[in-house]
Amino acid sequence: MGSRALLMLTNFNFKATVSSFGSASNPFFLIKNNLRIRNFSTKTRSSLQPPDLPGLAETARISLAPNEVEEFAPKIGQVIDWFGQLQAVDLDNVEPAIRADTEGDNLREDVPQTFENKEALIASVPSYEEPYIKVPKVLNKE
Amino acid sequence: MLSTIQPPRYLSRFPLRGRTKSRSFHILSSAQPVTKTCFAADQSQILSIRDSLLNRHLSAVELTHSYLDRLKQTEPHINCFLHVSDPDKVLKQAQDIDDKIKRNEEVGPLAGVLVAIKDNICTADMPSTGGSYILEGYRPPFDATAVKRLKDLGAIVVGKTNLDEFGMGSTTEASAFKVTANPWDLSRVPGGSSGGSAASVSARQCVVSLGSDTGGSVRQPASFCGVVGLKPTYGRVSRFGLMAYASSLDVIGCFGSSVADTGILLHAISGHDSLDATSSKREVPDFTSQFTYASSLKSRPLEGLRVGLIRETVDAGVDSGVKSAIEGAAAHLEQLGCVLKEVSLLSFSLGLPAYYILASSESSSNLSRYDGVRYGNQASSDELNALYEESRAKGFGSEVKMRILMGTYALSAGYYDAYYKRAQQVRTIIRKSFKAALDENDILISPAAPSAAYKIGEKKNDPLAMYAGDIMTVNVNLAGLPALVLPCGFVEGGAVGLPVGLQIIGAAFDEFAKHKCLLNGFFERNL
Repeated sequence: MGSRALLMLTNFNFKATVSSFGSASNPFFLIKNNLRIRNFSTKTRSSLQPPDLPGLAETARISLAPNEVEEFAPKIGQVIDWFGQLQAVDLDNVEPAIRADTEGDNLREDVPQTFENKEALIASVPSYEEPYIKVPKVLNKE
Repeated sequence: MLSTIQPPRYLSRFPLRGRTKSRSFHILSSAQPVTKTCFAADQSQILSIRDSLLNRHLSAVELTHSYLDRLKQTEPHINCFLHVSDPDKVLKQAQDIDDKIKRNEEVGPLAGVLVAIKDNICTADMPSTGGSYILEGYRPPFDATAVKRLKDLGAIVVGKTNLDEFGMGSTTEASAFKVTANPWDLSRVPGGSSGGSAASVSARQCVVSLGSDTGGSVRQPASFCGVVGLKPTYGRVSRFGLMAYASSLDVIGCFGSSVADTGILLHAISGHDSLDATSSKREVPDFTSQFTYASSLKSRPLEGLRVGLIRETVDAGVDSGVKSAIEGAAAHLEQLGCVLKEVSLLSFSLGLPAYYILASSESSSNLSRYDGVRYGNQASSDELNALYEESRAKGFGSEVKMRILMGTYALSAGYYDAYYKRAQQVRTIIRKSFKAALDENDILISPAAPSAAYKIGEKKNDPLAMYAGDIMTVNVNLAGLPALVLPCGFVEGGAVGLPVGLQIIGAAFDEFAKHKCLLNGFFERNL
């Protein structure tokens, strides 16, 4: 089941490539011709640097145990390679869409409003020493 | 023709063992025989509850007792809830409704209706964990707008349902706390990430429930659990109080046992909210007035409705059982008068990698707020960065960590153009292709997932295999369109078969297009 689903993912009809390179009957083929996708499989290699997991973990402020690095690296690498297929698509002159519906100005008045339930906000704070939220010291990195 | 197995009708209402005990729940459908599944306007649970309460056939307390008993009975098997409301409080709310009715006072349109809320939607009086250790025990200081609106209309919140952590997953296995089981087969997943919400409606632990849909998280569990799931247009429902996963894709969605119920629920929560800058200012039509009663329809009630079956969704990679259920549904639509044709959406398959790039990137940003400082579990440390790193390492599960790392990578300097920007461009292409298809057709149809529910543990170790299952649903989120999933057949599996859902996609803000109501009301009734 997983492999069949992967077939959908790769958008790669084995029958079509072997027999009918010139035929436009396969709709996936229309994609190939219209969008000039060259290299289309789950094993697409991204042409960019592979992810440096420890570096990314530091940027994301998540500490990773060595066994986690070992476990995640191949999975993440596989997914990032799969992302790489977008690099082969011809996207010239296509506007990037921030979100689906751009309904225009949806701003409210720039007037502060009081949030009433301050006690609940403070109750959620793990280390609170009135009126401060307490955190440990910051060490400067060398 | 609709499916390989047609389970006896009555079983579809009571899927668990110990069914005979639950016969006592006839009381819920006092207006209809138990053999009819609850679809179409004349079979809405919400409307029949309202009718029974106002005509004093039933009291809210009796109704609540029967649902709570059923919840207690089924919960050890399916594990839908992360938190169940205190029964005394719930019964008190029901009692208040009964008292108001006795005094001939007005009660809201959802009075007495038990609602379950996905745990990534904030509820002030109950823990809201988002399915994550990092928010274990967290009590938000406010209700989400959608929850507030439900409560204002008299709904009773029965509890918070299980989900994949922060909405990231398709099986509910990524919850930090428990795995929910599919009521149709306890060894299978209910789908995700709103698995708990779907399963609780499927097992009739509540009348309706709220979930969230970022890449299919309402529609796929609706298909797996055999209930109706609705994803509204992006901006139709306020996201205030929904823990953000991918802000440009998230919506709050509805589950019900009938299309009418999801419509009523959607109407209750829709509308502009000044607290959500992405919520639309458009008028919310009264969806419920657009439902018709099946008895008033003629023999080909959907005459002329143009239906487009998305070619790419019934191709290689889709289970043959699912395909035949969908093709059967399509043939049935033709019998009802629809004009059916195949539609090809050329960029369809690009949506999946584009979606995962956008979702991972946005989630890496949205989840940076969980740092153990202002709320949530805090690790002990004597240095600030270490505090962040440890709190997040201990608080987040593997799937969440991986997506944050992938998102961090895709947004890094030098990679933004290659990944995130390109994914946004793909989003434009997909939006345009759907719009073109919906100009030619009134609605588009497809399966909601390439298979029926699979076994718990089957996809855990292969992320790409799990992502592949979202192919039917993600494009709709990228385009921001509304979609409805309703049960259309069964495939082999489990004790009596596994449900398969049909996905119906409409134009933006057209959740219940006039034709679609006729479609839903009449179509389901004839399944």
